[in-house]
Amino acid sequence: MENRFGIKDFLLFLVLAILIGMVGLAMVMFDRQYEEIQAIKKQSGEMTADMVAIRRQLAQGVVTAGGAGEARGKTEDLEVFKYVVEAQKKPDFARGDWLIDNFGTKIGRLTPVVSTDVYQTIIEGRVMEGLVTRDPQTLKFVPVLAESWEVSKDGLTMVFKVRKGVTFSDGGALTADDVVFTLNWVMNKDVNAPRARAYLEKLVEVKATGPHEVVFRFSEPYFLNFATVAEASVMPKHFYSRFKPQEFNERTGLLMGTGPYKLADPENWSPGKPIELVRNDRYWGVAPAFERLVFREVEDESASMVMFGNGELDIFGCVPEQYEKLLKDERILKMSQHLKYHNPLSGYGYIGWNQQRKVGGQVVETAFADARVRRAMTLLIDRERMAKEIYLGYATVASGPFDPMSPQSNPEIKPWPYDEVKGKALLAEAGFRDVSGDGVIEGPDGKPFSFKLTYPSGSATYERMVLFVKDGLARAGIKMELEPLDWPVMLDKLKKSEFDACALGWGGVVESDAYQIFHSSQIAGEADNRTHYINKKLDAVIEEARRTIDDEKRMKLWHEVHRILHEDQPYTFMFNRPALVFLNGRLANVGQTKLGLNYVRLSALPIPWYVPKGAQKYTR
Amino acid sequence: MLSYLIRRILLIVPTLIGATALIFFVMALAPVSITDALLSREGNLQPGERKAREEYLNRRYGLNKPLPVQYFRWLNAISPVGVKEKGAGFPASWKVGVKWPDLGNSFKQARPVGPIILEALPVTLLIQTISMPLSIAIAIMSGIWAAKHRGKLQDVATGTVLLGLWSLPVIWVAVMLIGYLANVHYLKWFPAAGLHDPRAGSMSFFPGHGSAGYLLDSLWHLVLPVTCLTYGSFAFLSKLTRASLLDTLGADFIRTARAKGLSERVVLYRHALRNSLLPLITVFAGILPALITGSIVVEKVFSVPGMGRLVIDSLLAQDRELFLSVATITLLLQLTGFLLMDIAYAIADPRVSYE
Repeated sequence: MENRFGIKDFLLFLVLAILIGMVGLAMVMFDRQYEEIQAIKKQSGEMTADMVAIRRQLAQGVVTAGGAGEARGKTEDLEVFKYVVEAQKKPDFARGDWLIDNFGTKIGRLTPVVSTDVYQTIIEGRVMEGLVTRDPQTLKFVPVLAESWEVSKDGLTMVFKVRKGVTFSDGGALTADDVVFTLNWVMNKDVNAPRARAYLEKLVEVKATGPHEVVFRFSEPYFLNFATVAEASVMPKHFYSRFKPQEFNERTGLLMGTGPYKLADPENWSPGKPIELVRNDRYWGVAPAFERLVFREVEDESASMVMFGNGELDIFGCVPEQYEKLLKDERILKMSQHLKYHNPLSGYGYIGWNQQRKVGGQVVETAFADARVRRAMTLLIDRERMAKEIYLGYATVASGPFDPMSPQSNPEIKPWPYDEVKGKALLAEAGFRDVSGDGVIEGPDGKPFSFKLTYPSGSATYERMVLFVKDGLARAGIKMELEPLDWPVMLDKLKKSEFDACALGWGGVVESDAYQIFHSSQIAGEADNRTHYINKKLDAVIEEARRTIDDEKRMKLWHEVHRILHEDQPYTFMFNRPALVFLNGRLANVGQTKLGLNYVRLSALPIPWYVPKGAQKYTR
Repeated sequence: MLSYLIRRILLIVPTLIGATALIFFVMALAPVSITDALLSREGNLQPGERKAREEYLNRRYGLNKPLPVQYFRWLNAISPVGVKEKGAGFPASWKVGVKWPDLGNSFKQARPVGPIILEALPVTLLIQTISMPLSIAIAIMSGIWAAKHRGKLQDVATGTVLLGLWSLPVIWVAVMLIGYLANVHYLKWFPAAGLHDPRAGSMSFFPGHGSAGYLLDSLWHLVLPVTCLTYGSFAFLSKLTRASLLDTLGADFIRTARAKGLSERVVLYRHALRNSLLPLITVFAGILPALITGSIVVEKVFSVPGMGRLVIDSLLAQDRELFLSVATITLLLQLTGFLLMDIAYAIADPRVSYE
């Protein structure tokens, strides 16, 4: 009889496959156990080191009673912990529970300095700290890892006193050498950080003049010098100096600092592993409330909305349409809280009018070179109505490039109102009239006024916005054509200035430098003045503002910049939009500050939220 | 047979070169340079940073060299035989020889491509090795059942239902499943996204100690993605099995078997089925590459960090190194799959032979 492959053989193979599968699963299980054991070993090693250090100190007869109490009192008195201490005084305050946040994308890297995305910055803000940070209400710089600092009158020398008694999350002590190492590491050309290096071009030298004192020397006074060096996250030298720049560039999970949270394994995170920050038990400051911060990477929007409704995500940022929809959902409202808040980092939207174009090899001035034409454009776009209808009221009309809540913005300047009559009059004054009677106005050269608006494709909001603009301009006899482009294509066209007008936005910072966008020197070399805007008077004011170290004087100069831009309208400033967020209802002490929510994700401020004992979900 | 095999294997090389050259130059035709694509993916830029980053990228990856030069550099890097550094590979002292293929560095993630692929591969393999055999098994069984009851209600119903399933677009089904089966407001039977619970790291492997256990948690998370991946392929494979089976059942030797007095079950399973599996082998070899490339839609919607997501992300970011590596691996698999299919055909059907 032939040896046929029958049912019994199939069953045998099946059993074999299952056995092999089981063995595979057992191997996975052993691996997990191994990792857990390694983590426990490391923890117990660190605890032993701590105990040895304490024993040694006791043996030396250190006075602990008054000393420790004083030190503790000192940290709680620090300005940077003000809001956390306030939260701790609340009656229902309790430590514990986890905060589950969501990044809408897969994260590739947690290593500081060489990363370029905002998500890494959020995690870095929880694990590492800088010398100073900004107080979220007063917007002034408050000391964190620095105890105090002095800036010379000419702004070229800065001396920082580094705080004593601070340790990194592995127990190593913080000294001035770590600060020096951090700055030199960023300046190292082999380290893949061209962006960060660009900001440090004015730094000449950084030196440690004592175990707790650092001196920075700059080549010229610039108002952003202080923030750039002082807010930089301090990297531990003993941890990072083990890696060569090439290896540092390629590693995905090297993150360790002095912050209130830490990665359970500061060396071996790789994409695909869950992102979890645990409380740093060695933290030098006020201990944070949450025991763990979990960051999930749910990309799909509908999935993340469902997960928020399930209570599996605690934070859900939305666009106006989603926000309105969720506001009507009873079930969601019962388990959540929602906020509309101003976020200075969201920047502003604008339409840029290109004043020069290359036509057949020749450089030609466009219609937008005339300031009257640009002002007319602004008057002909009904921005108020757009804010109401496109953004459902969740937008304010912008009047300039500065954050309206920051002292940089000139409070006397209000955006130009929508005025069709005045706009038409300005165009007529500039020589644009409808001579041929076909409804389209012609310029002084007899050609009809027609141009293309370039904008990023794929966004329903942009589509609606440009149609509004087209309609408003058509009423005045201007023909506007639409040119939606894929994002990288658009950037390319912008770089080469191959556009008539573009609709885009810039991200924001607390105090921005108008130099890059509006100074005439930034036209050449494909820098960011892409509309070929030249105003000598503005150039002078900007240059002086950059050099001015005194805050009050500088703000007055920015106000002047704001006024000139308002008159000249090189951009039509469109909107500032508030951020809309839904949060899980169990989170307490959620509030607003000048930097956004009081949990400012993009800075290294401590988190003042907590969950009362009864409402805690992940810990008992 | 042996010469045929060797010929086929050698033919893989020019096919690979031609295909990768095509991909390379088509990617270069995109209206924007790679540096621009890389810059744009980094989110809102502060003015002034762009220039610095662009120069850095051009210098580091040689992106401003002429295209054919870039292509040949890549080809040399990925080929096991080529120009190499002295001291590496075999023979060590020569400049040309056998060496380890170097997959290059991903532009976007700035680290070697190998580990990136190795991180995404097990995830995709896991989902696919569960869903492929499942869909094939269900399809074959339903096809046999339909063929056995040909013309009757079972046959028509199976055909209609499976065709209906096939016509439901995956992306809609995925979102609906999440919205209704993973939603606490409707039926919370399954989790909404990802492959693990956030607390999975501290769970024990088997159920106990107060939690469902790592194993069951993983399986529970896999149910929805596997469902989305399998339901669409039932119709095709089932109909194929049914048609092929009916074809075989009309043959003379089946009549003989029935005339001999064998039961219908033996006729169907021991004689007819074996001969009708040939078309299925053909199709199966074609599906093999899906084992590695995964499904882009399902992985995106369920936030599964697998190869499909890697492909689409690398394409959108114009991350040429990563995409070329994935494409080469896929091509290699496809060609190997075809070769295996031909060999399997030769084994399964003694009438077929290659000379």
